[in-house]
Amino acid sequence: MRLDPRTKLFMVFVVSAIVMMSATTPLLWAVRIAVTMVPIILLITEKHYASAFRFLVLYGIALALLFGLLSEGSTGIVAALLLGYCCIIVQFLPAIITAWYVVRTTKIGEFVSAMQRMHVPDGITISLAVVMRFFPTIKEEYASIRDAMKMRGVMLGGGNAAKMIEFRMIPLLFSCVNIGDELSAAAITRGLGGKVKRTSATDLKMKAADWLMAVAFTAAAAVFVVFKYVL
Amino acid sequence: MTDPIIKIENIKYRYKGSETDSLDDVSLAVNAGETLLLCGASGSGKTSVIRLINGLIPHYYNGEFTGNVTVAERNIAETELCDLAGTVGTVFQNPRSQFFSVDTDGEIVFGPENVGLPPSEIRKRKAQVVSEMGIEKLLDRSLFELSGGEKQRIACASVAALLPEIILLDEPSSNLDWAAMENLREIILTWKKQGKTVIVSEHRLWYLTGIIDRAVFMKKGRIEGAWSGEEFAKIPETELQEMALRPTSADCEYAKLFRDDGPDTDEGEKVSLGEDAIILRDFYFSYKKKPYVFRKHKFKKEDGEDLSLCIPKLTLPRGKVIAVVGRNGTGKSTFLRCLCGLEKDCTGTIESDGVTYKGRKRIGFSYMVMQDVNHQLFTDSVEAEVLLSMKVKDSQKCLEILRRLGLLGYKNTHPMALSGGQKQRVAIASAIAAGAELLLFDEPTSGLDYSHMVKVGKMLRELADGGSTVLVSTHDPELINLCCDTELVIRRGRASLRAFGDEKNGKE
Repeated sequence: MRLDPRTKLFMVFVVSAIVMMSATTPLLWAVRIAVTMVPIILLITEKHYASAFRFLVLYGIALALLFGLLSEGSTGIVAALLLGYCCIIVQFLPAIITAWYVVRTTKIGEFVSAMQRMHVPDGITISLAVVMRFFPTIKEEYASIRDAMKMRGVMLGGGNAAKMIEFRMIPLLFSCVNIGDELSAAAITRGLGGKVKRTSATDLKMKAADWLMAVAFTAAAAVFVVFKYVL
Repeated sequence: MTDPIIKIENIKYRYKGSETDSLDDVSLAVNAGETLLLCGASGSGKTSVIRLINGLIPHYYNGEFTGNVTVAERNIAETELCDLAGTVGTVFQNPRSQFFSVDTDGEIVFGPENVGLPPSEIRKRKAQVVSEMGIEKLLDRSLFELSGGEKQRIACASVAALLPEIILLDEPSSNLDWAAMENLREIILTWKKQGKTVIVSEHRLWYLTGIIDRAVFMKKGRIEGAWSGEEFAKIPETELQEMALRPTSADCEYAKLFRDDGPDTDEGEKVSLGEDAIILRDFYFSYKKKPYVFRKHKFKKEDGEDLSLCIPKLTLPRGKVIAVVGRNGTGKSTFLRCLCGLEKDCTGTIESDGVTYKGRKRIGFSYMVMQDVNHQLFTDSVEAEVLLSMKVKDSQKCLEILRRLGLLGYKNTHPMALSGGQKQRVAIASAIAAGAELLLFDEPTSGLDYSHMVKVGKMLRELADGGSTVLVSTHDPELINLCCDTELVIRRGRASLRAFGDEKNGKE
């Protein structure tokens, strides 16, 4: 099931808001957990089984520990640390899962098209698209640099933390600057930055699933706001 | 006769910050429908000419500029770059930096979207280009998982989708294997048949023989010669070498070798190895990861067909230059990476002089000079770079190594300020300083002209004569001719060593 990028952006927005509000009653907990399960299920429908499974296990363990083993009365360093970690995971993992789902399953073309539909200026859209395109490049470059460091045996920089960072960052910056420069030259020769209004070959349509998802997430947000701040 | 489609008149150009002219009084006229080759040594101004035509000079690369360039009746200096997009298309050298998207579909439609074509027209063009180039299989894929050849085909397709009259290719074969170069030749032929004007700047010349109408030779920013396609193919090899050009025809024996898809040969070891050899055992590796959740799977011989690399035992002669050949995607790079211990999941061992190197120990024994050598330079001076590799800092030995590689004069220079060839030598110097006996080179000559290739060849030879064992993966038959003693053929992850046929020995 493919969702419209606009729906996905809305989901990110809602989930980010929800994770900033702490759940206090069983109903709110139920909503929170339901909202977390949605992106996990969506990851499964998009065939990202491994990451879905890992998120599920991580979230499940944190929840189980939080409710099963720990309570406000827990004492001792281990329990305190565990409580801290579990709270952080339970609190913020939903947002991470949703963001992961959106980044992994949205093509740049779709994203650009969605932004255009929402009348976001091209300048912002293109910059964001370039950022999305650059992540894998940075990852590739960083992997080669790590390989080179491994071969030289300088992974630990001789015990010097500043050197460790320097050895990684300097070649990375050099190659990213070069790639960025060549990339913009190539993009310009293909007409980027012209006065003509860009079009998009990707046709976006809000389908039933999109509306359903939008309504569900709006409802979740509403429940949180109403039960926490109104009642 | 009609007016030429590209007219370059008395251009002088100097990049900002440079002390010499990159182009010195260049004049060139290209007729519509012509296929033109720009050749010449590195730094001779080929790329600058390409940039003149697509307008990156003077609009993107600032510098001192005099003269006149007219492309399709438009004065380049007064035309905005984006207005040229539908007229001139450029395929760049490095596939990793010319893609704007991360998926193939998005890349092909990127140009047409920019110039604001209606969506239905864009989809029509995409379908047309895809069927012309036969890249149906490449659609809906991530650009990061494609091979070099496939990336270059997508680059060609995405340029063609704008239907430009003029197509420029700037050293397009740098990252390609033989099959991919033949494919590129087909693409250029298609464009030629469609009546497009094609200009190729290139070091590898053999794959263009027979399809170019005219060859233009550049030297130090000037045009020093021009031949028709037929004349150019007849220029004797020695004369080409004087011009620092690579051969226009590929040596038949190697051509066969690179193209051969024959059955795996396991008998292999006909080469006389002598007593002194390096033995590799149990090198197994696969990129097809077995699905796992928390624990990785170690590769074994029993994984059989799933393995991208399967070398139960291989003996390498010591002190030789060994060419590693095979098509892209058959496991050359994987082999080199496993050999120098970069792939942790590969559990192979290296035996040398009665010592067995396992796991991390392999890293000290072997060292790879990467294709993009920039990744391997970490410090702010050449001397510091070499010292960094030494466990016991010995500046005397460091100077000795630098002298051996002709880098003594640069010992205080920042490595990033050096030329490509010098950087390569700095990387080698640090490998020697680390005491590596097995030196691996990943396509060190792609994108080099003939004279630089000869230099690399000599250097590899010297390294081997100095006692190191050199493994070099390459697609250049010229390099094998220059310096290799024997070759390791890798097919579908299976390696076999073979001596050169009598043909080569007879020739020498």
